[in-house]
Amino acid sequence: MRTVTAPHLGVGIGWRPEIDLTVERLPGVDFVEVVAENLHPGELPESLRLLAERGLPILPHAVSLSLGGADPVDAARVEHLAAVAETVRAPLVSDHVCFVRAGGLDAGHLMPVPRTREALEVLVANVKQAQRLLPVPLALENVAALLDWPGAELTEGQFLAELVERTDCWLLVDVANLHANARNLGTDPVEFLTAIPLERLAYVHVAGGVEREGLYHDTHAHAVQHEVLDLLGELCSRTKPPGVLLERDDEYPTDEELAAELTAIREVLS
Amino acid sequence: MTRESLALQQGELLRALLAGGQPPAGFDPERIAAQTRALLAKRRRVVAMIRPDLAEALGDRFALTFTAYAVDHPRLAGSRAREDAEAFGTWLVDQGELAAPRRSWWRRAR
Repeated sequence: MRTVTAPHLGVGIGWRPEIDLTVERLPGVDFVEVVAENLHPGELPESLRLLAERGLPILPHAVSLSLGGADPVDAARVEHLAAVAETVRAPLVSDHVCFVRAGGLDAGHLMPVPRTREALEVLVANVKQAQRLLPVPLALENVAALLDWPGAELTEGQFLAELVERTDCWLLVDVANLHANARNLGTDPVEFLTAIPLERLAYVHVAGGVEREGLYHDTHAHAVQHEVLDLLGELCSRTKPPGVLLERDDEYPTDEELAAELTAIREVLS
Repeated sequence: MTRESLALQQGELLRALLAGGQPPAGFDPERIAAQTRALLAKRRRVVAMIRPDLAEALGDRFALTFTAYAVDHPRLAGSRAREDAEAFGTWLVDQGELAAPRRSWWRRAR
């Protein structure tokens, strides 16, 4: 059943409509990621069609499945992700280990789940259901948190390791989120990287953020901090990641600045 | 049983973060407050992006007015970001914060 190795991806950047031309002309971009909820299957933006014609892998990244939520999986959301995956002929898709909705409210954000056996049971059941509806493998990403649930029974690394063990999902490790949780919650990044099954690593996210009032905020609107690149280096000392992708979602810098951040990533990988 | 108890915990947390509920037991109230501010700021940014006319019309009052609106009108599960932004626009008119938008006669007859 298990795919032995993840597809090689290289160095990529999150495609956003605001930087479509930038992404097209940035040198050395090997793959892109798109926010699945922002696309209509069957009618791709011109820029993505162009990238697809160049043979770049396009990976749909979902933000709304709420697989860590207690509510039943919303099949329509998973089917939308599946349809986007078919449209871009994606090798895999992803979402997060988080919940977005609960009690009839929508947080508009990726909220951490309690690291308890009980929450893990629900997450595993939801992930298995989503996998049945998806045409390609699913990778799940660690999120950045400002607060921690009481009563944790597992570390974040143990929680993800067990999730992989029980669902056979892939991992999307966000080293900026790992930095955020180290900073905000006291997560030990080395323990995290030791606990997770690195052979199930699909790719890595790198993003910028900012320190405010003693907390690290994962904004995707600021420059990548050197601590985040250091964590990428720590990860690379243990495994060769199949891909590394830079995420930028707001306050877009110049093309040169984005190119420099991609170069900095490549230097860590080399 | 598992889903029910997790639903209660997650619902209680979101009510505290989004709708002025009490911080659930065991959480650091300062972190709840920080997360509340971060979620509010994100929601406000999205609304301003979808309806820049509202942010422009309110000017300096935008942030405070949105904060006053948000706690009594948390975004509901199943709603789209655009619906959230439109609902804020309607509320502004109902509150007398903004004049009702003038619609052209040819757009009115839909």
